[in-house]
Amino acid sequence: MSQTAPETESIPLYIKPPKVYPRETSGRFSRLRIIAAWVLLGLFYLLPWINVGGQQIVLFDLVNRQFHFLGLTLWPQDLFILSLLLAMAALTLFFFTALAGRLWCGYACPQTVWTEVFLWMERVTEGSRNKRMKLDKGPWTRQKLARKSAKQFLWITFALWTGFTFIGFFVPIRDLAVRVPTFDLGGAETFWLFFYAFATYGNAGYLREQVCKYMCPYARFQSAMFDDNSLVISYDVARGEPRGSRRRDADYKEMGLGDCIDCMACVHVCPTGIDIRDGLQIECIACASCIDVCDEVMDKMGYPRGLVRYTTENALNDKPSRIIRPRIFIYLFALLGLATLIGVILTGREPLIADVLRDRSALYRVIGSDLENSYSLRLTNRSDARMLVTVDAAGLPDIRVVEPTRELALEPGQTTDVPLTVAVPLIVAEPGMQVMTITATDAETGRVREIETRFFIPQNPN
Amino acid sequence: MTDRPHQLTADRPDPPSRPLIQRIGAILWPSFFAAAVATVVFFIFVDPLVLRDMTFPEMNISRQGGYTIAFFMFWAATSASSLFTWFLLRPASHFRKPQG
Repeated sequence: MSQTAPETESIPLYIKPPKVYPRETSGRFSRLRIIAAWVLLGLFYLLPWINVGGQQIVLFDLVNRQFHFLGLTLWPQDLFILSLLLAMAALTLFFFTALAGRLWCGYACPQTVWTEVFLWMERVTEGSRNKRMKLDKGPWTRQKLARKSAKQFLWITFALWTGFTFIGFFVPIRDLAVRVPTFDLGGAETFWLFFYAFATYGNAGYLREQVCKYMCPYARFQSAMFDDNSLVISYDVARGEPRGSRRRDADYKEMGLGDCIDCMACVHVCPTGIDIRDGLQIECIACASCIDVCDEVMDKMGYPRGLVRYTTENALNDKPSRIIRPRIFIYLFALLGLATLIGVILTGREPLIADVLRDRSALYRVIGSDLENSYSLRLTNRSDARMLVTVDAAGLPDIRVVEPTRELALEPGQTTDVPLTVAVPLIVAEPGMQVMTITATDAETGRVREIETRFFIPQNPN
Repeated sequence: MTDRPHQLTADRPDPPSRPLIQRIGAILWPSFFAAAVATVVFFIFVDPLVLRDMTFPEMNISRQGGYTIAFFMFWAATSASSLFTWFLLRPASHFRKPQG
């Protein structure tokens, strides 16, 4: 080993990894991937355009600090529900990883899906794998310039459309669509549109498999959810080796060869540029392209399919494979528990929230023949409509509210703090911390909130 | 002694540096993510307009503008932390001048 040279000279600043030119595939899993891409991208590009009752059904309205999500309106203080939803998404990911490996990476990850679309555009403009490689190696001819320009045009247009759609989840998209052609956008809108467009263009057009290899945290920790019973894509070494080329009608068993004809098709289709025959690798995003292409080759050779297939570590080692196992149940129960919790929280959401805090500066006040206690009342309107709230007190003889004197108007999403003063006549008072109830009634809907609190009556008020 | 592949010995010096692009990515991208989370959590409790009135009432900052400014401040802070971590982790041998 020639490690003696001073390292300061031998460290290259930037090693350009060899560009991967994935070959196009067709087959069962490719079809699944294309269907998944259509569904997911369809949702992304169409959802912001769907209005129900004049309201965009998914809109994270940052400007007005309210989130509209499938008929629900959430306010910033409800955002913990969103974090529960995220926790649920994470658990779902764990569950499917334990069950079927990197399903997410191969079929659903935005990185994979957008890369797929960008690759398709590359194929449309620059041709098949071999043509693309030749084009990149060749000199800059008029044809190369035309093809590359066409690709860039498609990429940039699509990326800008993606950035626009992304903004449309945060700003009403129909309004945005009217303003874009006249460049009537705010600074933040303009910035995020181009930022997201650029991120899409860079990630799906150039970085591609490097995002999975160097940037993705899931790729690094997914092995924690894996065990010997998780589905992985694997090459059947026992059946394939020793690999070697042969004529289609050759008696390869006589020649001492396995089923792998070493055609390299599985390597050429791999979007991360690995050789699946080297075993399970962290770079593998389980897109199953190698399964599709190898099945095609096996069909041509007249060999049984499945030299590269979805299997488990146990199955490959001739051990029994179990799909039902404790890990699956743990993830599943945690998932169901969380889903129930979110359901309960969402259905039990009160549109009017009321809190009563005792005023700590004075325990009581005597005004004429009345004994008063002071509080601070906080009201929050979590509905989509204006509220008119009246405040009452009950639980003590002749108790009444001195302040607020009028109905309180609350706009949607508004929180208001008002001083609350409650009084009882001096003569009826029983000394001690008495329990009483404050009721807040919304005149518009007739909804009532009751808050139990304490009323202090001293032994000797005077 | 058991052979551990990550163990550094005299005949097995520090591994070479990662390519520049990877280093930049490893600093900017996790800090981007952390800044996004911090921004969301921060603005659950704080309305940018209220914050503006408390700090720079004479400036015309919209809610969106407030979110954006805060995000980049958070990103600056988190990426500075990531950068510092990388700085501390750099093996000295990469910078030592060859002796005599």
